[in-house]
Amino acid sequence: MKVVQGIDVSDMTRFNPDQRAPLWWGILGLIAIESAVVLTFCVSYLYLAAYAEAWPPSGESAPPMLWPSINLGLLMLSSLTMFLAGQAINRGNQRGLAIGVTASVLLASAVLVLRSLELMAYEFSWKDHAYGSIVWTISGFHYVHVTSIVFGSAVVAILAWRGYFTQQRQIGVVVDTNYWYFVCFAWIPFYLLLYWGPRVYGQ
Amino acid sequence: MTLEKPANPRDVTDSPEETAWLERTWHSPGGLLGWFTHVNQRMIGKRFIITAFIFFLLAGILGILIRLQLAGPEQQLLGPELYNQFFTMHGTVMMFFFAIPVMEGFAIYFVPLMIGTRDMAFPRLNAFGYYVYLIGGIVLFGSLLLSMAPNAGWFNYVPLSSKLYSPGYGVDIWTTMITFIEVSALTAAVELIVTTLRMRAPGMSLNRMPLFVWAALVMSFMIVFAMPAVIVSSTLLILDRLVETQFFIVEGGGEPLLWQHLFWYFGHPEVYIILVPALGMISTIIITFTRRPIYGYTALVLSVVAIGFVSFGLWVHHMFTTGLPQLGMSFFTAASATIAIPSGVQIFCWIASLWGAKIRFATPMLWVLGFFAIFVIGGLTGVMVASIPFDTQVHDTFFLVAHFHYVLIGGAVFPLIGATYYWWPKITGRMMSEAAGKWSFWLAFIGFNVTFFPMHQLGLEGMPRRIYTYVEEMGWGDLNLLATIGSLVLATGFGVTLINAIWSVFRGQRAEPNPWGAPTLEWAADSPPASYNFRHIPVVHSRWPLWDWERDRERAVVTGLRNDRREVVLTSILDAKPVGVQVLPAPTIWPFVSAVAASLGFIGIIFHPIFFAIAFFLVAFTLVAWFWPRRPWRND
Repeated sequence: MKVVQGIDVSDMTRFNPDQRAPLWWGILGLIAIESAVVLTFCVSYLYLAAYAEAWPPSGESAPPMLWPSINLGLLMLSSLTMFLAGQAINRGNQRGLAIGVTASVLLASAVLVLRSLELMAYEFSWKDHAYGSIVWTISGFHYVHVTSIVFGSAVVAILAWRGYFTQQRQIGVVVDTNYWYFVCFAWIPFYLLLYWGPRVYGQ
Repeated sequence: MTLEKPANPRDVTDSPEETAWLERTWHSPGGLLGWFTHVNQRMIGKRFIITAFIFFLLAGILGILIRLQLAGPEQQLLGPELYNQFFTMHGTVMMFFFAIPVMEGFAIYFVPLMIGTRDMAFPRLNAFGYYVYLIGGIVLFGSLLLSMAPNAGWFNYVPLSSKLYSPGYGVDIWTTMITFIEVSALTAAVELIVTTLRMRAPGMSLNRMPLFVWAALVMSFMIVFAMPAVIVSSTLLILDRLVETQFFIVEGGGEPLLWQHLFWYFGHPEVYIILVPALGMISTIIITFTRRPIYGYTALVLSVVAIGFVSFGLWVHHMFTTGLPQLGMSFFTAASATIAIPSGVQIFCWIASLWGAKIRFATPMLWVLGFFAIFVIGGLTGVMVASIPFDTQVHDTFFLVAHFHYVLIGGAVFPLIGATYYWWPKITGRMMSEAAGKWSFWLAFIGFNVTFFPMHQLGLEGMPRRIYTYVEEMGWGDLNLLATIGSLVLATGFGVTLINAIWSVFRGQRAEPNPWGAPTLEWAADSPPASYNFRHIPVVHSRWPLWDWERDRERAVVTGLRNDRREVVLTSILDAKPVGVQVLPAPTIWPFVSAVAASLGFIGIIFHPIFFAIAFFLVAFTLVAWFWPRRPWRND
């Protein structure tokens, strides 16, 4: 059989073509999976609430609003610094990238500290009742995720300070940023459910 | 998009030197240590298939032992505790460790070949998924040898599976290992989605994709959205069991029914996750053995997609006897009946394709025809149990056992064995014996019906599932004995295929690249394919590229990929226009190390929660090592 040249790809880019490299899709897949997990946790919370006699159970009150709201602000701010870091490397500004990612890591670390203090002050344990179980589980789930983005982005920050990322070679930043947005934005439904939910629903 | 053929096509010649380079680049290292570094999709796919069939054999043996126990009234072959462990393990292993991984294995092996590329999008992740599956399977099956296997059924209902009623490690192992191997299913699913969407050969627009690839794509999307529910439910259960949360404990305000909702929200799509790739295999085999384009390609694709969607709205029909609101019951009855529509469209398209065609009744085709007979019966009993009054009557009886074995074995295992015969020459380079294949089919077909058809009657007579024995006065002895005899015939049938497979690897007739005259790209590669799959990545102009080439005596290929590193073409999602080149990673040990670190966490938390934190950081460090860029940094 005759074999002829159909297409020649020698001149095509080897980096993140059309801004949608396989890794971009891969992280989107991970985000889709984890979003389904977030949704399932929310549904479980609502299911338990719907069948409970009182929510939170009588004698308990929903955790205070102030610190989670501050955390929400910090997480949104860290998303903004992450976004600016991505913009910087799009222009080829390696220093801007490194500063942006480092700022995000520090902001999220602050969230971890605040969350730890807040959780330690909770008056109920996960062992007390189903309400305590679901609040602690969702909090723990999100806490672990913030820990993992802090860890992962710290590695990205180290590589950024060493000048690994360039305008072309930046898929690692793109992937890290997208996952960062996911973890920060996942806090919104949890925040509404855990802190606003009982106040609106319980009265 | 139709790719314009260049006005003056330049002939492509292969120098043996360049081919040798390519071979070296895509080579998988030898040796025992080398074995743990393999990342090529065919290596991983083959491992998935072989491991899954070993689990099929083991779980099948458990099934035979269950049947022997039930052969006559008041037998004491197994005893109640062992019987509980055996039926739990039979169901769990068949569903989680055989059916899903074997379908993924075939998809991992054949999707890249069918879409004309050299590997999958994330080769190392593929390897990671395999080790997770392997370790999870060994741990779960090992628990049986230590007599601490789970014994609360494959859907592990609370409160039976709570710490109070199931002390001991069995249910802990079930819960952690199920969560663990779902990770493997999810990695494979994301791999398959990205590979299918981004790495198809230039010109293979979505409407030219082989039907098996469509089926694998739908299966992968279903896995992505179904598996998280079982991950959450088993996480909640493991928390209940290990750190005393109260999710499913009524005294603490928990809700046992939440388990059922979450489990079946996964569990029902699961059934279709197994069925959908089998549908793709059937279409593939029918096309080849009628040797003409399939009738209703678009209808077949749309109905597979529709099955994917509708299957998420059926889960409550497993819970009809739990006392749900009337409106919910009606909705789920209607949805359960609705799934018959796309399934029917499939069957009618296949009948139309077979109608008037010159069918070659080779072994793969026989298994497909066997599927028709069995699956239609299973589908009919499915419509019956979708009706609530009937379901209430037969709930938890052998009628159900008969129904789901008809749909699972008929719907998935028969096409799977057919596909194994069909693709065997591609995987091994040898043909399996046709005569033995036909013997195997007829033994399995007759054995299957003798085993499971009487169970309908047993169920209607009131025999409940999951009882380890029954008294003579119930009058169930004769039919049970018949079913046991049937199961031995069925096992012999599968055994013939096993022997046939092993025999053919050494003695089988050598296979041509395209022994069946099939139209899809996997048959353009050598049998077995070279390490790089295709010497040149092909360019495609229709749904039946090999038949085109046969007619035109000419084929177009992609040029310009480097031979000294692993390069594949990336194409656009809808039209498969080439947009760039992806450099894929080479073999490495890190996925294996990561999988071991992760399994340490999953096994460890059964004994102490601290292992969660240890494994979290261990996995994080191994992932950094896995992804850390090696100098020199690429700059082109």
